[in-house]
Amino acid sequence: MLKYTLQRIFYMFFVFMIITFMSFILIRMLPLPALAPNDPHKEILEIRREALGYNKPYLEQFWIFLRGIVTKWDWGTSEKLYIGRDVWQVFVEKLPASMIVNFYSILWTIPVGIALGIVAALKKNTWVDYTISTLTMVVISVPSFVYAFLIQYLLCFKWRLFPFVMKAGTDYFSWDMFVSIVPPILALSFGVIAGFCRTTRAELTEVLTSEFMLLARTKGLTKTQATVRHALRNCFVVVVPAIFGEFIGIIGGSLIIERIFSIPGVGNLTINAINGLDYNIFMLSTCFYTAIGLAAGLVVDISYGFIDPRIRMGSKK
Amino acid sequence: MSNMKKILSFILALMMLVSMLAACAPKDDTGDDGTSGPAESSGEQGKEEIKITEFDKDKKYTYNSWQTGLSANWNPHDYEDANSSDQMSYLIDSFYTFAFNDELHPMEDTSRTPFDGYVIIPSMAAGMPVDVTEEVAKEHPDWVPEGATSGYAYAIPMREDLYFDTGYHITANTYVEGMKRILDYKFQNYRSTDVYSGTYGIAGAEDYFFQGHENFKSFSDMGSSYDDYIANGGKEEDIYIDIGGFWGIETADGKTYASVTDDTMIRDPAVPEGADEDYVSAKYLWDNYLGPNGVLTSYTPGYAGILKSYPANVAFEDTVGFYAKDEYTLVEVFKASCSGFTLFYNAIQDSLILVDPDIYDKCATQQADGTWASTYMTSVETSPSYGPYSLTDYQTDKVAHYSRNDKWYGYKDDVNNIYKDPTDGNVYRLYQTTDIDIQVLDSAATAKNMFLAGELATYGLQADDVDEYRNSEYCFNSPGPNVFFTLLTGNKDGLDAREAADGFDTSKEDIQTILCPSFRKAFAVSFDRQAFCDETSPQNIPGYGIFGTTIIYDPDTAAYYRDTDVAKKALCDFYSVDTSKYSNLDDAVDSITGFDPEAAKELYTAAFQESLDAGYITDEDNDGKCDQTITIMYALSAESDSMTRRIDWLDKAIVEATKGTPFENKVHVGKTAPLGSGSEFADALKAGSADVCLAGWDGSAMDPYNLLTAYTHEDQAYAAEWYYPKQDMLTLTLDGKEITMSVYDWAEAVTGNNTKAQDGKTYNFGTNDADQETRMQILAGVEGKLLETYTYIPFINNGSLALLSQKVYYVTDEYNAVMARGGIAYLKYNYDDDAWKTFCDEQIAEHGMIQY
Repeated sequence: MLKYTLQRIFYMFFVFMIITFMSFILIRMLPLPALAPNDPHKEILEIRREALGYNKPYLEQFWIFLRGIVTKWDWGTSEKLYIGRDVWQVFVEKLPASMIVNFYSILWTIPVGIALGIVAALKKNTWVDYTISTLTMVVISVPSFVYAFLIQYLLCFKWRLFPFVMKAGTDYFSWDMFVSIVPPILALSFGVIAGFCRTTRAELTEVLTSEFMLLARTKGLTKTQATVRHALRNCFVVVVPAIFGEFIGIIGGSLIIERIFSIPGVGNLTINAINGLDYNIFMLSTCFYTAIGLAAGLVVDISYGFIDPRIRMGSKK
Repeated sequence: MSNMKKILSFILALMMLVSMLAACAPKDDTGDDGTSGPAESSGEQGKEEIKITEFDKDKKYTYNSWQTGLSANWNPHDYEDANSSDQMSYLIDSFYTFAFNDELHPMEDTSRTPFDGYVIIPSMAAGMPVDVTEEVAKEHPDWVPEGATSGYAYAIPMREDLYFDTGYHITANTYVEGMKRILDYKFQNYRSTDVYSGTYGIAGAEDYFFQGHENFKSFSDMGSSYDDYIANGGKEEDIYIDIGGFWGIETADGKTYASVTDDTMIRDPAVPEGADEDYVSAKYLWDNYLGPNGVLTSYTPGYAGILKSYPANVAFEDTVGFYAKDEYTLVEVFKASCSGFTLFYNAIQDSLILVDPDIYDKCATQQADGTWASTYMTSVETSPSYGPYSLTDYQTDKVAHYSRNDKWYGYKDDVNNIYKDPTDGNVYRLYQTTDIDIQVLDSAATAKNMFLAGELATYGLQADDVDEYRNSEYCFNSPGPNVFFTLLTGNKDGLDAREAADGFDTSKEDIQTILCPSFRKAFAVSFDRQAFCDETSPQNIPGYGIFGTTIIYDPDTAAYYRDTDVAKKALCDFYSVDTSKYSNLDDAVDSITGFDPEAAKELYTAAFQESLDAGYITDEDNDGKCDQTITIMYALSAESDSMTRRIDWLDKAIVEATKGTPFENKVHVGKTAPLGSGSEFADALKAGSADVCLAGWDGSAMDPYNLLTAYTHEDQAYAAEWYYPKQDMLTLTLDGKEITMSVYDWAEAVTGNNTKAQDGKTYNFGTNDADQETRMQILAGVEGKLLETYTYIPFINNGSLALLSQKVYYVTDEYNAVMARGGIAYLKYNYDDDAWKTFCDEQIAEHGMIQY
């Protein structure tokens, strides 16, 4: 298992480097944002770009980029959006807002999603199952920003239950802040609930029809006992890794939802960096999202082994 | 030229900014008894006592605003964009400011009605500037041209009660400290060029800024030319070229200038490898383009010059014409003579250098790469205010909140910071707003919902909202100074190349016909501009001239060019309006629609014959119809619903216009793939790879003369590839004397350059050399000539539509290009915050939203 984990980390690192390299080269190949004639910032920017190796071959530039990160955790300075500021500092400032919204979201969506999935599986082929399954399909088919606008229109505008946008400030655990982020939490939640519901229902349905469940019942276990002790445990082999993946994704933020609810998070920052041609911020965002995606995949895969002792991928026989 | 445009754009922005700051205070804070309800206090205006109606001191009036982004830096030395200047505007003030003309601040022109213009009044200054040129010339002869006795040096008396909200007392020396810091080379402050460069920079500021460094100086910058330089003993080998500006390249070590003797070949990234001029050198550019034997010598003054070395270790006091005469008198020495509006503008601009030296110095840090950066004005802690508001909350990309700065002198000023309300006749203080809250909202839908729920003060209407709200009494139209024209390409080479390309079937398609003069004229009269505005962009109004309705030709009097008789006559002449049929010129102008379907049909028929004769199209079956289909490609910058709507409208209109002509169902308007919102769409048009687009120039809201150069300078003009203003001659009768010059030369002359006319005499019709009447005659003459090219076909006068919350109201509904409707300074409130909340609750309970 250890070897497998190390292998996966190595592969993850390898893939990360390839993606980073490709992104880096493509970004450096783009023409630099033009400065106005006689822009007095020119000299400063030239010095900074010289320090980043802009006039050197791409491979050497990439080496300077990596060296800066490894030795000084230097991701460069912002050239457009936050002129002269360390882009890592800017990025870190944005992380909490993204994380808090996603954290609250998964905190309730996972239990609700799993619960609905269990109910649907246990009530398979009844109106309850049909209702849940139909709603699940509808919710999964509609993008989250559609819910976002609906939620904002109904809860914030029509019924005035919540503020339109996230409250300003950094008091992330205050009641006012919580109330202000309920709409984005809901907007983010529907898709996750539907996803967990569908996964749980599918797995549990399959497990419930397994022969060992019949054996459990013939041994004298009640249906509840058999479901809780055997069926759920087996179906969680698939569900729990997905939970881990969701938790990793907390810090990823949501590009569209953050814009609609004015959440000053990393998702918004990424879009602004793209629109504003702030290459250093965009490069950091790209690396960040790549790392998040790879880490989530790694955690999901490794967690299988911990959850189900029968799974020992890559181990010697 | 592009730099000039930028500067002029800045001037407009600055005027708007300063107008926001106009004069002073919202409520009296001299008392401290906390009484509420209307009250009156006494102020003095000269000897006459004025009763001032005070706002309720206990009430809170919050202006809730929104924008799509907040700037991370509003440092007056380094700000760049509109968001930065907006955020900065609440925290700063200036020596002089703009105020609406009212009984308390009347204009010299007594025919003007209150609130239809503006006056310039002292703000942080204690009085008007005093010309001290003679005095300064004696002490510092190097700062003032020899023999000059006025117009260069001014002493500005300052108020003694100026403070930052930190308590830092502002004196003349504080300004000097600010000037030293903005000119500190190591910071490379973005706004330093405003101070040291240009005609009206501060004397000696450039030498101080560049001390110990080199800097490229073009002949234009030095007020010189290549011929003058050589005549004065200059050597050609000492000349440098601005290769960055002229050709878009730079040397291997990142320099944007190079010696004309430098034959190092530099790769031009804009040219494909292997094509002509994929590699060029400075020497090549000089020999072929800019040098005496080059083909673009008109560019030489702007892009050729010398490399100037500046002596190191110069003392500020001996070098820069900016010093404290005494504790409350500041002396400014300008590089060029200025007076009137220009003087006030310069004084306003220079006063923006003010910073709190203590905080400023603490904010300076050296970066790992050796460069310097400043965090001044990037947070609440680093944002000292000397304006009407203090920054009390700021979160990057989220919110900025401003509250009254009680240390601001303006709230106690009973002279300048008051106005007489045109409705009730009472005298009020400016700035009733106690708090300003700016939210960042990226979604217009969110903003609309928030506005309708009473949480925002304004909402700019989107296309889908216009039908619902355009007739609302709370909907305000703000006309812009600019006209957007439909620009029809005339680049024959480009069009020929397209027809010659693979895939273009000339038996079925044609595009060269758009070169035919009759076709271009027919195109110009094919569109009902009013219908276009109504159906595609209701915030705009039809535009008929090169200049818009609110462009000001004389900033001293706030006079609009379009209101003048010569401007009206120019339009009537171009649109062939028989003025004798109308009782006055206004009626004649009002009759112009620019739409003449009958004439269009005749012209299309004539164009058919012209095109046949030119061999562009065929009529094989002799049915009198064109065999080819002409699809005029709109140069699309980016895909959007509004663009699609516009292009569809144009297509439908031209199909209708060609009905019954040989081009019936043969002319369409299509669109290119998105080309990009930079200069790409214009480049495509210039190159003839696209055919038409709606385009215009912004900026120059108070200088239409300068805007002319956007049409006459090759590096700016959209039509540079097919309209040659240097060859287009124009004869004007000025003071009974006929003068003939090219359109290019007229534009040069009216912008203050010496130009030679056909009579061999040299003329200059710049601000200091000709009266306004003469200059306007020239402006109208050139405008008429440009219209006659049928390249720039005026279409819409830009504008905006916005809803204003019922919580507030404008003191005047009339829009003024400089003052807008008064901005925050003049904004008044129907409800304080508590009353507004109650009102909103009631409205929403009853109607579901606030009714507009």
